[in-house]
Amino acid sequence: MKKLVLFLFLSVLLTSTTYSQEGVKYGKKLTLKEKTSISELYKNPKKYVGKTVQVEGLIIKVCEKRGCWIDIASDKEFEKIRLKVEDGVIVFPLEEKGKKIIAEGVFEELIYTKEDLIEQGEHQAKEYGTKFDPKTITKGKTEYRLKGLGAIVK
Amino acid sequence: MHWRKLLRILHRDFGYVAAGLTIIYAISGIAVNHIQDWNPNYKIEKTFLILDSLPKNATQEEITKFVLKAVGETREVKNTYRSSPDELEIFVEGNSILVNYLTKEVKQEKVNSRFFLKETNDLHLNKPKGIWTYVADIFAVALLFLAISGLFLIKGKNGIKGRGLWLTLIGLVIPLSFWLYYYL
Repeated sequence: MKKLVLFLFLSVLLTSTTYSQEGVKYGKKLTLKEKTSISELYKNPKKYVGKTVQVEGLIIKVCEKRGCWIDIASDKEFEKIRLKVEDGVIVFPLEEKGKKIIAEGVFEELIYTKEDLIEQGEHQAKEYGTKFDPKTITKGKTEYRLKGLGAIVK
Repeated sequence: MHWRKLLRILHRDFGYVAAGLTIIYAISGIAVNHIQDWNPNYKIEKTFLILDSLPKNATQEEITKFVLKAVGETREVKNTYRSSPDELEIFVEGNSILVNYLTKEVKQEKVNSRFFLKETNDLHLNKPKGIWTYVADIFAVALLFLAISGLFLIKGKNGIKGRGLWLTLIGLVIPLSFWLYYYL
């Protein structure tokens, strides 16, 4: 019985060591051979809406509560894109902030009305304990994001 | 061997094997159940200070070194990012430091994972995926066996034909009532 316990423990230890050597994988295996720059997505959004793309960049923000989204810095200065993943399917730990990521996802167009944005702002203010003034929202907006399928963080 | 005796032996041994995992899942269950009120995985410490000055005409690298020294951060820099013309974010293992060039404000966000709790949550929510998925599946089947076999361990007035039946029904009525209350 002692030998069985030791064998199980060593097997798990060995597997976890191999796992950590290639970078940390999340979700589905990456399939695309070519990367699309984030700046290109914003430059020609209509061309990519609904298509699966692979992007690369620096993780600059991670969802604190559930790890259900990350913001990836663009190749263009001051630009970023949000990669949203299905709750619980992929969970990004906070430690990944500041690391490089290669991610695949479906490029999505989100159209928000003024009312949507107010509701969103109030929800975020409640969740993060920050202040939100609904008067700052004067009109709706269109946002682009990636619906995350898989990623490798190095 | 009598079937009830065999059931007791199996229930006992499955119970021993499942004890560790049950404890992990129970602790994590409570932790993630209250995710709206706290972060079950991390302690996040947010601090704020205003620097007296920032070096003028300095490169990004020089500003990074200056700020790290000012906040007493000695760990290696992972990366830096400029979110706007006036802001620089410095990523260090376990800390992100946001500097505003104009206001000289420095916001730090130190992240420490909650020892043991984060590991249990990761396992409970199947973060490792792969082989762990099957381990968790086997555990779920074992729990199912423990629950069903537990009903028939003893006979008599405290068994499933007596007191056990009523207690089992209470256990079924509780979730059913909540389901009816919330969804009908």
